[in-house]
Amino acid sequence: MHIKTVARYIRRSPYQALAAIMIMSLTFLTISVFAVVTILSVRIIDYFESRPQISVFFEPNTPREQIESARQNIEATGKTSAVNFISQEEALAIYREFNKDEPLLVELVSADILPPSLDVKARIVTDLPELAAVAQTSEGVDRVIFQKDIVDTLSQWTNAFRKVGILIVAVLMVVSIFVILTIIGIKITIRRGEIEIMKLIGASDWFIRTPFILEGIFYSVLGAIIGWAVSYGALMIFGQSTLQSFFNGVPVFPIEPIYMLAVLGLQILLAVVLGAFASFLAVFRYLK
Amino acid sequence: MIRFQNVSKTYYNTKALDNLSFQIDQGNLVLLVGPTGSGKTTIFRLIIRDLEPSEGEIKIGEIDVHQLHRSKIRHLRRKVGVVFQDLKLLFDRTVIENVMLPLELSGVSEREAKERAQEVLDDVGISHKSDQFPLQLSGGERQRVAIARALVFNPEVILADEPTGNLDIKTSMQIFELLEQINKRGTTIFMATHNDHIIEKTGYRVLYVEGGVLKNDKKSTKKMTPEVKNDEQKPDKEKHEEAKKDDKSEKINLESLKNKK
Repeated sequence: MHIKTVARYIRRSPYQALAAIMIMSLTFLTISVFAVVTILSVRIIDYFESRPQISVFFEPNTPREQIESARQNIEATGKTSAVNFISQEEALAIYREFNKDEPLLVELVSADILPPSLDVKARIVTDLPELAAVAQTSEGVDRVIFQKDIVDTLSQWTNAFRKVGILIVAVLMVVSIFVILTIIGIKITIRRGEIEIMKLIGASDWFIRTPFILEGIFYSVLGAIIGWAVSYGALMIFGQSTLQSFFNGVPVFPIEPIYMLAVLGLQILLAVVLGAFASFLAVFRYLK
Repeated sequence: MIRFQNVSKTYYNTKALDNLSFQIDQGNLVLLVGPTGSGKTTIFRLIIRDLEPSEGEIKIGEIDVHQLHRSKIRHLRRKVGVVFQDLKLLFDRTVIENVMLPLELSGVSEREAKERAQEVLDDVGISHKSDQFPLQLSGGERQRVAIARALVFNPEVILADEPTGNLDIKTSMQIFELLEQINKRGTTIFMATHNDHIIEKTGYRVLYVEGGVLKNDKKSTKKMTPEVKNDEQKPDKEKHEEAKKDDKSEKINLESLKNKK
């Protein structure tokens, strides 16, 4: 009964329905894009955090005992989760793999000129400076490189992006609520005569309110599905190839469908809450 | 069945009803007559609690209408069927959907509502138009739809606010005959009308209001005027029978009208 009434209300004023669905689609498209970028940023940070966080390079031909001694000094801090020795031969293998498309560079380099090193991972990223300092004081160490700056910068960017994203989504959600409130309000005003008749022939308040609330939820849920579909479609068609080359080797793709389905599920849930809230406001404002 | 006890209604500074008292027994057909603005519609609106009286008490059976909790008003409105002066049909719904609506409001399933609506549309002689929209119907047909909607709950009382207002005499008499048939099945009918033919020829009890005051309460006679004194306080049924005898010769042959149609 209510579904038929909602269908009739939508059919009778298609342009209002279209406006509501479009603004909801825009809101949920933004939320979807924001969700995808969040997934990507988490993966990028994870990637950098899972790389060796400190690389301790020794002078070429440093005796293995000195390197072991440095390793013990670093492990003695108790703040490491892994310390791996990379020999000159292993360094050459890594170099060759990295430059496999540049045969000239591969030919020019031999194991002798590459330094042996220790790759150190800290338990907590904030301990990196202390570990780096310990490594630096060890005998035979040429230089110490650590990625704290990269991770910090990425984290700062991600946090800033999140804040801006949340702000944009919040503004769009408020706009969406007002759009649905206004459209449902207009529909209630247009149907005042019908509402009066229904009351006179014995309709309960909720019988009259329910179709309007369902209508708001319908606009919102349909907007969520369209917004999600557009963002996922764009990601599938254009995103992966373009963005993957932009991230230059950081393996952020593919985003598994299960993540996108989870995003859709959460958006539908949010849409129901948003649509119901906006229509409730309209119903209580215009149907006193 | 319907009892008004010293009821007054004031709109801002204008008195629409002034100390009105009357009673309508169950199963009666009573006409409410008076000039435009005399308070007829106000009386009906008070009965279904679309308005609150300024003073007095209104009862439908044992229900004190204006003591009812707000949440119970809808139950009262299902007990009292109303044929509104402006019909109040929903023009974007078909005839059958209009008639089904009160049932659906009370939670009756669509299938049952449809069956019952079809039954009532049969009763009022318009079942062949059930899939049309009100705008596709004539005035008399719309009246029948409004009556069908009022009847669909099998109410104890039907209030008909000038149901023949914009109809020609032939159609008016057909509509009135329909209401008479409903009345004969035991439903109390309280009908406002301006139609002299109905007032003069049918011989039912007439309440004449003017300026919100009940000026007259008697069975109908020719040339009904407010100056006619109140009939002695006979029971409604007796008045009804007498009136029928008096006017027998003058009654329009409604069957023949029906056949002509």
